[in-house]
Amino acid sequence: MTFLGYERPDSSVGVRNYVLIIPGGIISDTICNFVIGCKTIVTADTGSGRSKRDRETIARTLIGLGMNPNVASVIVHGRGLGSGYPELNVNRLADEIAKTGKRVEVLDDPNASTLDLIGRGINLAREMVREASRLRRKEFDDSNLCIAVKCGLSDTTSGIVGNPVVGYVFDKLVSKGGTALFGETTEIIGAEHILARRAVNEEVAKAILKAARETEERAKAIGEDIRTINPVPANIAGGITTLEEKSLGAIAKSGSMPIQGVLKYGERPKGKGLYFVDCWMGTYSIFLGYAASGAQIVLFQLGGGGMAGDTILYSSCGFIVPLLWLTANPKVYKRFSNNIDFYSGTVIEGKETIQEASERLYSLILDVASGTMTKAETLAHVDPNQIYLIDPML
Amino acid sequence: MDRSDQLSFSSGEVKIGLAMKSVDNVATVLNDVSCGDKILIKFADSTSVHTIVAKDNIPFGFKVALRNIQKGEYVVKYGEVIGKATEFIGEGHLVHIHNVEGLRGRGDLKMVGEKI
Repeated sequence: MTFLGYERPDSSVGVRNYVLIIPGGIISDTICNFVIGCKTIVTADTGSGRSKRDRETIARTLIGLGMNPNVASVIVHGRGLGSGYPELNVNRLADEIAKTGKRVEVLDDPNASTLDLIGRGINLAREMVREASRLRRKEFDDSNLCIAVKCGLSDTTSGIVGNPVVGYVFDKLVSKGGTALFGETTEIIGAEHILARRAVNEEVAKAILKAARETEERAKAIGEDIRTINPVPANIAGGITTLEEKSLGAIAKSGSMPIQGVLKYGERPKGKGLYFVDCWMGTYSIFLGYAASGAQIVLFQLGGGGMAGDTILYSSCGFIVPLLWLTANPKVYKRFSNNIDFYSGTVIEGKETIQEASERLYSLILDVASGTMTKAETLAHVDPNQIYLIDPML
Repeated sequence: MDRSDQLSFSSGEVKIGLAMKSVDNVATVLNDVSCGDKILIKFADSTSVHTIVAKDNIPFGFKVALRNIQKGEYVVKYGEVIGKATEFIGEGHLVHIHNVEGLRGRGDLKMVGEKI
């Protein structure tokens, strides 16, 4: 099966065609306010007072966003990550992104005022979005897609239908040579032994168990029953009783294919196939990380049984990657149909099988890959993003 | 044989409970169930069905005990341990945080058994 995408110099294929301005802050924001087709990250995680490991995570995230196939070209400016750490040096970020062969401009001049840089950046960005707009979509095989999933506000419909539908789509994409990412390490605790059995080799199996163990050790060090933290109260109100139950339902979204490796937050996979990302489940964090890992489309598989009514669902947490909202919960779909792109509660209602619902989702993903906007993409609201950092703030 | 891909859950008048594996001792109800209702239990991994009577009100998506579960006995869903009963749970009763505890991530306990 095929979709219409934008070919990049490194042979990757974008499903969107943005000019990215990093690392955020007033220069990036002002350029994005003035120039159509630009995107920037909104985050307070600028690296100051952070460990080397965490600064590398910030750098990997920014570089990964620049390398993402949905990005046509990039402006990196030198104000914002102002603490002078070498990992976050403006030229380092630009050089790494430029390895993709795409255009990367460094906006940095020690003698220029910030307002001068904004003026130069606006003119540069206007030229770059026009250049990007000359690209035409072409037909590509679905093996060029990388899709990532988070299951959130899970309830028991997630484990029995919603996640299995995503798992079927993942199996299909991987069998066709594509790439699929899943993560949320806390939510494999109690199910990690099942994932480890699906690892391609012993080394990957150990990495899966290690990720779960380290996360559980951090949880236990707090001295609380994890059930007071995760499953979150909305999960419990939706019928989920323990973290183990949540995890066993959550892993269904990974399908049944072999797991090729464990990635760090924002790390790019070395090959195709299914990967586990060792990351936190937070909505403002995980989609950013998936985008940095190279996902072109992200899925939020919503349970929602324990949610208050009439909530506006998060919109731009993937910000350079289209976010698709899915649910299997009939009651939730009725309440949020203006926000939800795909409904698999048909299976619970007896109108469709999991296989039929999954094929429908696969077609929708290809349609979005070809340019159809998701419901979240229609909103101009910009959510903040949280980079997944682990060490103490010092 | 895993037949979950082909699974579809017709509801209509009959209250349905879905157990993911034959070894499970709980099922997820797919309708709002009232105390005294009959629940038709289906299994995702087999064609067998049986009926139990609800002994509690059980909301959509919550779990019902398929048989008596002793205090301290494992609660099993997806063919895996999801926790331990903190009290006796009779067949047909609601199974949730009031009568089940998790075994993992228990920072509140001194001794924790890792199931790896």
